[in-house]
Amino acid sequence: MSEPALLEIEGISKFYGNIIALRDITTSVRAGEVTCVLGDNGAGKSTFIKILAGAHKQSEGRLFVEGEEVDFDSPRDALAMGIATVYQDLAVVPLMSVWRNFFLGAEPTKLGFLKVIDKEKASGIAKAELAKMGIDIRDTEQPVGTLSGGERQSVAIARAAYFGAKVLILDEPTSALGVKQSGVVLRYIVEARNRGLGVIFITHNPHHAYPVGDRFMILNRGQSLGDFAKAELTQPELTQLMAGGADLTTLQHELSKAIEGG
Amino acid sequence: MAAETKPAPAAGDERLAYRGPIQRLLTRPEIGALVGTGAIWIFFWSVSDVFGTTAGTNNYLDVATSLGIMAIAVALLMIGGEFDLSSGAMTGATGMLVVLLVKDTGELGGLGLPLTLAIPITFLFAMGVGWVNGTLVEKTGLPSFIVTLGTFFVLRGAKLGFSKLFVDKVIVEGLDNAPDYDFWANIFGGVWIRNDHLWDSFLGGRDIVFGVLATLGVVALVFGLMELSLIRRERSAKDQSDVAVIGIASMVLALAAAVIGLVVAFVLVGMGDSGDVAANWLLVVAVAVALALGFLVGIGLTKKSRSGGSFGKLSQNGIGITATVVGLAAAITGLTSLTVTDGVDQNWIWGIVLSAGMLVAVFGYATWRFESASVSMGRFSISREIGRRTIIGLALIVLGVILGFALDSSSTTVIGILLTVQGLRAILFGGLVLVGVMMLLNAARDADSPVTRFSITAVSGVAVAVVGFVVQFEAASRKYRAEFFAWMMAAAVVLLIVAMVRLLFDQRRHSHTQADRFGTMVSITGILLVVVAIATKLLWATSEELEASRALITYRVSILYFFAFAAFATWLLMRTKFGSWTFAVGGNKEASRQVGVPAARTKTQLFMVVSGAAWLVGTLIAFRLNSVQANVGDGQEFFYIIAAVVGGNLLTGGYGSAAGAAIGALIMAMSFQGIPFASWNSDWRFLFVGVILLLAVIVNNYVRGKAEKSK
Repeated sequence: MSEPALLEIEGISKFYGNIIALRDITTSVRAGEVTCVLGDNGAGKSTFIKILAGAHKQSEGRLFVEGEEVDFDSPRDALAMGIATVYQDLAVVPLMSVWRNFFLGAEPTKLGFLKVIDKEKASGIAKAELAKMGIDIRDTEQPVGTLSGGERQSVAIARAAYFGAKVLILDEPTSALGVKQSGVVLRYIVEARNRGLGVIFITHNPHHAYPVGDRFMILNRGQSLGDFAKAELTQPELTQLMAGGADLTTLQHELSKAIEGG
Repeated sequence: MAAETKPAPAAGDERLAYRGPIQRLLTRPEIGALVGTGAIWIFFWSVSDVFGTTAGTNNYLDVATSLGIMAIAVALLMIGGEFDLSSGAMTGATGMLVVLLVKDTGELGGLGLPLTLAIPITFLFAMGVGWVNGTLVEKTGLPSFIVTLGTFFVLRGAKLGFSKLFVDKVIVEGLDNAPDYDFWANIFGGVWIRNDHLWDSFLGGRDIVFGVLATLGVVALVFGLMELSLIRRERSAKDQSDVAVIGIASMVLALAAAVIGLVVAFVLVGMGDSGDVAANWLLVVAVAVALALGFLVGIGLTKKSRSGGSFGKLSQNGIGITATVVGLAAAITGLTSLTVTDGVDQNWIWGIVLSAGMLVAVFGYATWRFESASVSMGRFSISREIGRRTIIGLALIVLGVILGFALDSSSTTVIGILLTVQGLRAILFGGLVLVGVMMLLNAARDADSPVTRFSITAVSGVAVAVVGFVVQFEAASRKYRAEFFAWMMAAAVVLLIVAMVRLLFDQRRHSHTQADRFGTMVSITGILLVVVAIATKLLWATSEELEASRALITYRVSILYFFAFAAFATWLLMRTKFGSWTFAVGGNKEASRQVGVPAARTKTQLFMVVSGAAWLVGTLIAFRLNSVQANVGDGQEFFYIIAAVVGGNLLTGGYGSAAGAAIGALIMAMSFQGIPFASWNSDWRFLFVGVILLLAVIVNNYVRGKAEKSK
């Protein structure tokens, strides 16, 4: 792979006063690859996303988009560079219909200055784009609030993909979902990757990360425990690493004792 | 059910069942208010002799206008998630400002500007206040309640202070002395004096035109609803020629309608010699715009039908088409005769002609356009439970009729503190019959076989017809003998039609974009026709009417502004980018900001819409009264909010409708004006408004919950 990575993160640190939220993080995401960022609560995942999304500025380090160094001042800048973030709270308006949500902020209009929404076009595109993600919405008029969690997630992902995102940052998309719904969302992630997008998938669940990821970066207390390609790592190793290795083994022992005892 | 024709996609969403048009309608925010309007109108119509007349209608419409214009604007802001407590005071402030700007009060004040300058300046002032409200809310992040409470007191104080300072009174007067007054008075103070507009013989007289339009409207509505809910009978696509013929025919019809409509409009405006030219011309413009829209729809239809679109491929069914036309003609004859005559001897004949005509027309249309039922009718069987409910329902209707007769209709004796015997009679009669019919319909809905369903619905239709005839023979007043009877007959016919259509034709279970669009269009045309029919009655008098009563009825141009603003705001909300953003910032401000909606700007613009509406209302008040008191509008903001909530707008934002707010304002105006009409002490009206507010909110919640659950 000679062409530069879609997004390269080099030695990023972030300090909030005397608190070190992130220290010296380096990783990258290429087109058609999924980079998973794993970490427990408080590991610095949210800070990491906010820097990539342009909501916060890093204290140290540099960001490269397709080889060019960039400097995000606002989420709009990041969006303009093709970096779309799907937040945990999804940025959807539950009482509005699927197609209105899909095009919110970028509605196709007709009749010039009257800015009348081209409803048929919008509704048609929304339906087709969702179908590409493998989700069939019969009625794009239904409020997003009536969709299931996984479907809502897929609307947000399809929206980001449609609006020219090159890099998709997904913030814990599976954390609030059941087993089946998580599977649906993981399928969308693979789908997005197959369409040539770079995906940064943030999660605390190695079982979700391992099957879809091409690269893994593990965060612990603001520091990187390493940046691995899939070939360098097995799933149990990943789980171990993520929970801080020895801690988990001890916990497992204690748990099994407690269960046997009870 | 017939085999699924839709090419099923790989991962079809089996959890999403098809929702019929009625069900979808029930999830609209304004549905509760719409039902409430009907109920309140019928209630006051039956207890008061004035309420249902043209004078009464003008009376509550007039009250509804200023309330309604503001309620619509406040509803938009409420959907956007904010409140404006300064909106009431703002109406007075703009009204006062325009008077102060033009008034020449010597050394102390009054700028003596011409109105042509004063009106735009006042508008800019209103925009400014709206901008300040919005910017303060957005920049400080404080709740809009607090910020606009502040501007409310600022405006209130300024109104008092400036009027005292400039004219040493709490009222500023004398707008009519302003330069350019005559020109602007036409625009903001125009009137339509009904007594000056006679319609006796043109096109057979006003009542004939009313009858024709109303019948056509009702039938179109029925046709539209059928298009929305039945399965189309589509002929295999071999011969396209008749499709082209239909296209050309509809084009010619649309053109003819536009030309005839324009000619009619000019002739009608020319009738009589009302002094107010501007109001007449506004009406011409309104009619012309409506016709132009109709023409555009015609062109659209032509295009669609040429490609075999909206109409579908028409099946050739000579009997069906003939029956449609003949039935329509009979129905029109029946209804016009009913509304024109009041001969007890003839009415029942015309009633039967009307009903039979409707039945024939609807079934002609149905056999022409739709697939007949594919399942058998089933055997007639009635379970104990359903039978019990049927009998109770019938018993309630009979009880209502008996009680209605037992009580003396002429007695105005007051029982208790609120009711006259007459009122009690109306309530008992109406309530019991209504509950009885609803029980019957409920039983029909839950019945097992199609044939049972049909029988019970048909029985309820017959019951309604019988009640109508009883009222017709017994009632003393004309409105019951003619109008009420006509409505009862219409209800009975509709029930029968619904029963038969459901027995003989299959309901659609899948959406069909073209059929849905066509059905919606036909239904809307029907509703518009009925509205136009009612408008002819309201706007034009006949010599006969004027002989009976010379009461002067003067419509204000503000009514036109109210309707126009309601239409504009609905379009803005439903069709434009701005409308979408309004819903978004009210529903989830953070989310909309993240996807690139300029949330702060949208909200500020919404505040400016409210203050702009306040400018319109303030200017209308100034032109109407020629003077503005310092306390005009103070405290009204709560009524605007109540009207918006009654109309189905969510207090927490993100959901609602502009039309709903307009209907909410209509409900409140009807209650305010209806209570004195019903000869109750008007002190009771606040209690009434409170009850309506509570009921509206509860009904809205209940209906929406129910409709969403049954999807």
